[in-house]
Amino acid sequence: MTTPATGFFTDTSVCIGCKACEVACKQWNQLPADGDFFSGRSYDNTIHLEATTWRHVAFIERQQRLSGQSTSRPFSWLLMSDVCKHCERAGCLEACPTGAIVRTEFDTVYVQPDVCNGCGYCVVCCPFGVINRREDDGRAWKCTLCYDRQKEGIEPACAKTCPTDSITFGKLDDLKEIALARLQELHRRGVTEAWLYGMGGRDQPGTEGLHAFFLLLDRPEAYNLPPDPYVPTKGVAGAWGVMALAAAGMAAAALAAAHGRGGDRK
Amino acid sequence: MSPELALQIGEGAAQQVKRPEPDAGGIVPLWRQVPSQHRTDQNYYGLALIKEPVWIWSVPAYFYVGGVAGGSAMLAAALHGKKRLRRLAAWCRLLAFAGTTVGPALLTYDLGKMSRFLNMLRVLRPSSPMSVGSWSLAGTGMMATLSLLQGDRSGVVTRYGTALGGLLVAGYTGVLLGNTANPLWRERRLLLPMLFMSSAAASTAGVLQMMPLDKREEKVVQRFGMVGKAGEAACMVAMQRSDAAVPEVGAAAREGKGGVLWTAAKAALVSGILVELLPVRSPLKRKVSGALTTIGAICLRFALLEAGKTAAREPQTTINLQRSRMRR
Repeated sequence: MTTPATGFFTDTSVCIGCKACEVACKQWNQLPADGDFFSGRSYDNTIHLEATTWRHVAFIERQQRLSGQSTSRPFSWLLMSDVCKHCERAGCLEACPTGAIVRTEFDTVYVQPDVCNGCGYCVVCCPFGVINRREDDGRAWKCTLCYDRQKEGIEPACAKTCPTDSITFGKLDDLKEIALARLQELHRRGVTEAWLYGMGGRDQPGTEGLHAFFLLLDRPEAYNLPPDPYVPTKGVAGAWGVMALAAAGMAAAALAAAHGRGGDRK
Repeated sequence: MSPELALQIGEGAAQQVKRPEPDAGGIVPLWRQVPSQHRTDQNYYGLALIKEPVWIWSVPAYFYVGGVAGGSAMLAAALHGKKRLRRLAAWCRLLAFAGTTVGPALLTYDLGKMSRFLNMLRVLRPSSPMSVGSWSLAGTGMMATLSLLQGDRSGVVTRYGTALGGLLVAGYTGVLLGNTANPLWRERRLLLPMLFMSSAAASTAGVLQMMPLDKREEKVVQRFGMVGKAGEAACMVAMQRSDAAVPEVGAAAREGKGGVLWTAAKAALVSGILVELLPVRSPLKRKVSGALTTIGAICLRFALLEAGKTAAREPQTTINLQRSRMRR
């Protein structure tokens, strides 16, 4: 029996920025606190996804109305709970030289902490800047999509705690239906800027789709998401080809240097 | 209250984290006016979009050492069987052995969990240049040890095995850097393997030039080195030209520590070539040229890492590069 792929659909239009997901994630996964730090950037003091922060709420204050919004002043809040995207083709997984990063039976991307040796290659290969190496611990860490909870048949901590159901957990196929329905609903209500980020391979060929996808109300870069993420390994063949050519060049140079005039004949 | 109840046993438990606070910029003196910033580019408070490479100094150091090992492994194979160049071939074999021994040590030093370095050889994953590189480094190390022990009497398998492995070790690092999400490295991904390969030849010659050589050996080393240096210079020019097409990438390559190191690498390489071309014959000239080439090659590798860090810090580099790719 194969387990269906699971994932997150994060509907940013109903996120209220309560950060309950951040706290629930930290508590369930027993992640250390990041210390007292005031960023001065809206209400966001977590700044970004980190080895110890597997959910992160972004706060965007804009001096502009959303379409369909009828407040007197031009102002809108954009809030988004960010998480590891568990890409269909994952840059970290394909780059991992130890096999520490695996795909689980739920089709999520999981770092095995007892195998990771902290080479740091996944850090530079993630097009979303999610995974990172901890300084104290030396290993790479990221969201596990609550693998331990899923094993027991319960939903991840962040989705469980989300008071507005901005974070929806479920089977990927169901999530896509929910997402499309929600998108149509918003468009019908006049919020025409709503769109789905990374729902499938057609929308995002660079990653062939995300297992944690988003409904956004602005361009991805406003939320610190890359507009066209690209899993690096997809285009590596060309580089290997060039390397082979260069290697032939070096071999020719060595032979020419050794056998040329002034050198020695056998 | 029982402290036992508060014991954390979960996956991320029992770890202290020091997270560096993002740089808020220096303190602005009171007398200086700071203009309000009007940004037309859109990003999230200018915060980094992708993560900086976590690698420390030992990784670019390894890039250099691995290059020397690879170049000498190839040269040793080419010199095999030449009676009057036996000493040079022996030097090359020694360098290949030393490089493939010191290299893994440097790489292991960078690992977060040094005790787990053998995990590199747990799987072979063709999609990961780092995995391919680990295997070829381990294999070449063995081969280089064998050919060092056997010396002139080494067989065909050892000789060509070392040479082939050496070529992989010299070049895979370029593929490794290009195969990342870092905008600067990714933009240069087709030039990096060529740069690393030619620079490996140049740095091999650079080290050999600093050794006592006779006339015949000098000539061989010089020829090998000149091809490498010319290739290195050409790749560097090509990189600068391709960087110019995307202003943000070019800026990341020029700014900060990376830019200084890049300039130093250029200066050292060019002066190394110029010294080489002087119409004088003296061991001192050769040694100076070798030293300059070595300095250039080392600076180049550190420049690439530092420029990669700079490029990762500025979100607009990633965003604009992807936006321009989407328009194409």
